[in-house]
Amino acid sequence: MSEFFTRMGDGSGVYMTAEEIREDILKGVKDAADRGKIPELTQEEMDYLYKIITMPGNIVGVERGREVVSTSDSGSCKMTYHANIAMERSMAVLVSEKVLGADSVDIGNMDYSYKAVKQIIHNETPVMELAQLNAVMPVLYGSMPNLGLYTKPDGPVENWSELLPLAKIDEARAAQEEAVEHAVRDIVFVAGEMYAAGADGINLDTCGASGDADFLAGLLATEKIKEKYPDLGVEFGAAGEFVLGMHGKIEYDGAKIAGLYPHKQVKLAEKAGANIFGAVVNTNTNMSFPWNIARTVTFVKACTAAAEIPVHVNVGMGVGGIPMSEIPPIDVVTRADKALIEIGKADGL
Amino acid sequence: MSLESILAAAKQAIIDIDEDKAVCVAKEALEEGLNPVQVLSEGYSAGIREIGELFSRGEVFLPEMILSAEAMKAATAVLESAITGAAAEKIGKMIFATVEGDVHDIGKSIAIALIQTQGVEVIDLGRDVPVDKIIEAAEEHGAKVIGTSALLTTTMPNQEKLEKVLRERGLRDKYKTIVGGAPCTQRWADKIGADAYAEDAGEGVTKVLELMKS
Repeated sequence: MSEFFTRMGDGSGVYMTAEEIREDILKGVKDAADRGKIPELTQEEMDYLYKIITMPGNIVGVERGREVVSTSDSGSCKMTYHANIAMERSMAVLVSEKVLGADSVDIGNMDYSYKAVKQIIHNETPVMELAQLNAVMPVLYGSMPNLGLYTKPDGPVENWSELLPLAKIDEARAAQEEAVEHAVRDIVFVAGEMYAAGADGINLDTCGASGDADFLAGLLATEKIKEKYPDLGVEFGAAGEFVLGMHGKIEYDGAKIAGLYPHKQVKLAEKAGANIFGAVVNTNTNMSFPWNIARTVTFVKACTAAAEIPVHVNVGMGVGGIPMSEIPPIDVVTRADKALIEIGKADGL
Repeated sequence: MSLESILAAAKQAIIDIDEDKAVCVAKEALEEGLNPVQVLSEGYSAGIREIGELFSRGEVFLPEMILSAEAMKAATAVLESAITGAAAEKIGKMIFATVEGDVHDIGKSIAIALIQTQGVEVIDLGRDVPVDKIIEAAEEHGAKVIGTSALLTTTMPNQEKLEKVLRERGLRDKYKTIVGGAPCTQRWADKIGADAYAEDAGEGVTKVLELMKS
C-alpha cells in the first residue's frame, strides 16, 4: 500500500495512506463545520484538497493567474530575529520588497504593543519616514492591542487574571472595560503619528489575544482611526479561531463578541471600517496536516464567503494549518497556501 | 434518589452553574450513603468536563467556567470528610507545576481540580517554577507523580530539563512524570522520556491514576 509523506501539527514527519489522509480530511472538515456551524466543503473540494496534499514535489504553487498578495505581521523585524541578520528595519523593508518580492510589510517594534510604542514614538516615526521614501509597496505600522499590559503592576487597572480565579467576576469585567479605553487611546495616538509619518496603513495585530475586551479595543480603535484619518488603511488581524470570552458579555453592534468564529469576526471588522481582515485558525499539534488544513480551509471558505473586505489568512507557526514548530516546514507551508487560495478563496496571506 | 439520579443532578448543577443545587445534591448523596468519590468523578467532574469542552468550542466563557469550578469546590467541601476517610489515603501525592518562564496556569488549575476529586493529594506549586524547586517539593512531600505544564514552545525544554536533572541526581526511577500543555504531544513525551502525556484535563485524570497504580 503506497504511503505519502506529510506532517503532524507539531511538525514531525509522518507517512499516511490515501485512506488515512481522506479520513482525516473528512474529520477536519466536519470538526470545523460543527464548531463554526458553517457548511462543510463539497466532495469535489475535498478531492482537490487530497490532490494538493499528495502532489509530488517538496513544494507546490498556485495555478498561474491565481496568485494573491501578501501582508505581514511585524515583517520588518523577522530578518533580525528569525534569520539572525542584524538589519535596520527600514532596510529590512527594502529587502522584503526588492529581494523577497513582498507586496507589503509592516514595521513593528520588538515590544510590539501599542502601549509600549506610544512612549518611543519619536524613535518609530523616522523609521517609517525613511521606509516610505524608498519603498514602492505599501508600508504599514503594526502592533498588538495587548490589553493585559494595562493591568497592575504594569498598568493602571486591576488585574483580571488575578480577580477571575477569586471569582470576582464583576470586578474582573469592570477592569477589562476600563483597559479598553486606555488601549483605544494609545492605538489611535500611534496611528495618528504614523499617518503623519506617511504610513499607508496600520496593522492591529492579534486582536482578541487578551479576550473579547481586547477584540473590542481593536474594533473601537478602528472606528476612531477611520473617522480621524479616512485615508489610513486598517488591517484587523484576529488572535484565534474564536474570540476567547475573558469578559463574556461584551457586545459590538448588538453582537456578543466572545465565541465568534472567523466568518462572524470579519463582519464586525467590516462594520468598524477595517480594510483587510486577518483570519486565524489554530493548529492542533496532535492532529495531522490533512486534518488541520481541511479544518482551516473550511473555516476560511466560510469567512471569505461572508466577507465584503479582503481576507488575508494568517499562515504562520501554529495557525492556518501550519505546524507549531520553530521553522515551519516548506512542504506543508506551500500546500497550505495553495489550498487556502484555491479552495478557501483567500484574498491574501 | 437513585445513584443515577444523583450523578445526573450533580452534573447538571455544574453545567447550570448552580452552587446551591450542587451543595444540596452533595448532602443528599451523603444521606443516601453513596460513594463520595464516585459522585465527584462521575457526577460533578463529568459536568466540569462538559463545561471544559464547551469552553474549548467558544460556547462557554471564562467567567462561567470559573463559577462552575466554584460550584464544584463547594460540593467537594461537603463531600471532603467522607473522601478523606475513604479514598485519599490509598492513592498518593502528586506535584504539579507550570514550568519556569511560563505563566499560564488556567489549564493546570482545571486539571488539578479534577485530579483531586479522585483522591489524589495534589501539591500545586503554581506557575513559573524552576526545575530545582519542583524536585525539592517532590522530595519534601514524598510525591509519586510529578506533573508539569508548558504552554509555549520556548518553555517546553524545561520539561526535558526536569527529566535530565532527575536522571543526573539518580532520582528518575523514584518518580513518574507526566507532561501537558498546548504544544506538548505524546511524541514530545516519548522524546524527553516522560512517563505519560495528557492532552486535556480529563485525560490527565486517567493518566495520573494509571501512574499512581504502576
